Amino acid sequence: MRGFGDLETVIMHRVWDHPSPVTVRELFDELRRERAIAYTTVMSTMDNLHRKGWLDRVKEGKAYRYAATASREEYSARLMREALAGGGNTEAVLNHFVAQMDGDDSEVLRSVVRRLAAEPAEPGESR
Amino acid sequence: MIAALLVFAYGVAVAWWLPTLLTPLTRSGAGARLGMIAWLTAMASALVSVGVALALLIRSAVTGWSRLAEVVCREVSGGACTPVVYRSALYELGLGLAALLATLTAITLTWRYGRRLQQARRRTRAHAEAARITGRHLPADTSGMVVLDASQLAAYCVPGRPGTIVVTSGALAILEPAQLGAVLAHERAHLAGRHHLLVALTRGLAAVFPAVPLFTRGPVEVARLAEMRADDAAALRAGRRPLIEALLAMGTGAAVPVPVAALAAAGYAVAARVQRLLEPPHRASRTRHALALICVLLVLPVVSALVFALASSS
Repeated sequence: MRGFGDLETVIMHRVWDHPSPVTVRELFDELRRERAIAYTTVMSTMDNLHRKGWLDRVKEGKAYRYAATASREEYSARLMREALAGGGNTEAVLNHFVAQMDGDDSEVLRSVVRRLAAEPAEPGESR
Repeated sequence: MIAALLVFAYGVAVAWWLPTLLTPLTRSGAGARLGMIAWLTAMASALVSVGVALALLIRSAVTGWSRLAEVVCREVSGGACTPVVYRSALYELGLGLAALLATLTAITLTWRYGRRLQQARRRTRAHAEAARITGRHLPADTSGMVVLDASQLAAYCVPGRPGTIVVTSGALAILEPAQLGAVLAHERAHLAGRHHLLVALTRGLAAVFPAVPLFTRGPVEVARLAEMRADDAAALRAGRRPLIEALLAMGTGAAVPVPVAALAAAGYAVAARVQRLLEPPHRASRTRHALALICVLLVLPVVSALVFALASSS
């Protein structure tokens, strides 16, 4: 299952790196140079990604041409929006390292850091 | 009827009064795990009390109806319908309605709670998958970390099999290797401790009971204590100093070498965490808080059991 998920990642990153839509055959030829992989595996993975809404496809002759539904940057931005919105009851359960702070909070922290930085560092403590 | 009211009143007392007792005891984050257990126990006992009260109400409504039927049968076969029968019928009718309403409310709330949990779970899964597909995996990394290209400073973990730790490229740029190690240790502690489960379960309760102090305060405190648990684990694994530096860097958005010195800015979440790491609570106050919490943990079930026993025998 883990490996399968990894393959989705690899294929999406390949599709994003391509300037134009790609066929399964083209991606398979690329991937085959780097790892032992079956054509049908690539095909079913791309079909999955299409079903899950990551890839769009257009029929061209007997094959499909696949393109990403959104750019990598758009997905990153979408994830950040969801991650930083936080706190809703039906939202994704994420544990942040540092909770989102409002302006006042980070100003307090910044002033603390300024004060600490102004004090002489203990021997061996400064980098 | 009296029994149901008694147990219900007990549940209400726990839900309204216990937060004022628990908040100061768990504030310092000394014995974070014990504090989490205390909050969860309090929430569980309030819920169980309401459940028992409901069961008692239904029981008295059912026995009331059968008694009423018996009385009516006797009176009607005797050929007379006295005011006593009317009064009794009115009372039993009211009781039956109350039991019905309470049952419907309980079913609605439970359903709503379940739906919220389900939605949160679905979104969490979708987020984890999207992060895994969109993010970059550093070649040398073995921690399952995923790097998202974003200027914002963020590091978080998404539960699942396997759990995913997401760090933005913005955060990666300002964190030194040792500090990144502390961040990852903190997030791994969240995943290992299944903190997301506690957060999801308690946050759902807050949504279902928006005006009950125990259920609005509880999730906040449980989440805060979970952060402190993860801090403790990270300090142990990666060192206190890199962790403090990482907290300050991520909190202020600047990479700063900070001398380990007193930090007096409590009241703010991150500042409070840094303060706690710099100056751990004294052993005496730690012990005092732990003892008080253990008392709460021992007393609560005993009192609950006594109330339930008293109620069901009355």
